[in-house]
Amino acid sequence: MRSRQRLLGLVTGSVLVACADIAAPSRGDAYEWRRLQGTSSGVDTLSFHWAGADLPVRFWAEDSLNLPAHVQGGIGRWEAVFLYGEFSGVVVSDSSTADVIVTTGIAPKGGFSIARLESGFAPECQGATDIELSSNGQQILRPIRVYVDPRFAPGSPGVDDCMALTTTHELGHALGIFTHSPDPEDIMYADPAVSALSRRDRSTAELAYHTEPTLTIAPR
Amino acid sequence: MRAIVAVLMIVAAAAGPRLQAQVEYNARLGVTWATPLIRDEIVEEVELRQKLAPTLSLGASLPIAPRYRAGLEMMLTSYGYRASETATSTDLGTLRTGSVTLGLHGPIAANFGWRAGAGLLGYWPKDERGIFLRGGTTRFLAGAGVDFRRPVWSHWEMMVSLGYDFHRFTTEELQGRGFSQSQGVQRISAAVGLAKGSR
Repeated sequence: MRSRQRLLGLVTGSVLVACADIAAPSRGDAYEWRRLQGTSSGVDTLSFHWAGADLPVRFWAEDSLNLPAHVQGGIGRWEAVFLYGEFSGVVVSDSSTADVIVTTGIAPKGGFSIARLESGFAPECQGATDIELSSNGQQILRPIRVYVDPRFAPGSPGVDDCMALTTTHELGHALGIFTHSPDPEDIMYADPAVSALSRRDRSTAELAYHTEPTLTIAPR
Repeated sequence: MRAIVAVLMIVAAAAGPRLQAQVEYNARLGVTWATPLIRDEIVEEVELRQKLAPTLSLGASLPIAPRYRAGLEMMLTSYGYRASETATSTDLGTLRTGSVTLGLHGPIAANFGWRAGAGLLGYWPKDERGIFLRGGTTRFLAGAGVDFRRPVWSHWEMMVSLGYDFHRFTTEELQGRGFSQSQGVQRISAAVGLAKGSR
């Protein structure tokens, strides 16, 4: 009788162990990634992420100042954030087929319906991402344009590292993180100084890609 | 796992002809169904699940008592896996698994027999990304099954098997991200094949 109870206990215990779920970490440390834009009737929330049907996102990089390598590195860093295939990107050779165009130089002055996201406080380089919206404000027009530019002569100390981390930062905007983190330890801080994505960057990107966006990308 | 297989092959090769005559071999083809590898919650529940997997099983056993045999079994699967969330589903590529289990086999009645064992299960992703960003993983495995055998000709038997096993799944990447504990994964397999031996 006792051995039967033990066997029953062993079987019950085994089934409970076999059925238990893994405990996922909290993403509560994420920062706000949506852009709040004032309108005549109040505040509009702009959010976006690339949909599965748009993947892989096609990036074109100007062949200058090591930019193709920085873009490839940035894509890799952002891909590594995601566990479930939410984002992937490739570098393409034809800019006419690109979803995101990355060039050197200073972003041109505005005058069009653009949300400009800048990181211009680093001493060695600066960056900007231009996201142009359709006339009804519901769609993002292709391509998204990213500008990364050195402030000093290429080859000066710190310029290449600055270009790499600023490219990664600007690609974060192109992925849909439309605001800056308040924490200097994050790559999405307005004046990024770290080369790796932080846990908060990761949580923010994960939340952004699992939240229904208010904007879509215009068809190719 | 490769080391275990290598040791067992050396032991089998070194065994005398009398022992070799008592070894029974079997090979089966079938399918394996498994419960989700991960259940996560990012706004909505995300489930990472394996598709139905083609399965190859190879086994060998030796008598250890009048009614019981000790057996070694290898099971190989290759399948796609996907992440599902509410209305969306994303294919994540191909995943291969291989297991080696050591166990006991015994009779139930007539042409039916049971087997139970424990061993190791390895996950080998085709692409190291997502939950496998830092590579595959090897986990402990325990399982049991029922076999039906029917003689088809001299020394050959048709074999139909139904198996169940479970293991706790996690990866280095998941642990690095703060996933605690591990996911209980249960697998059910059905296979048909041939056995050749001394019976």
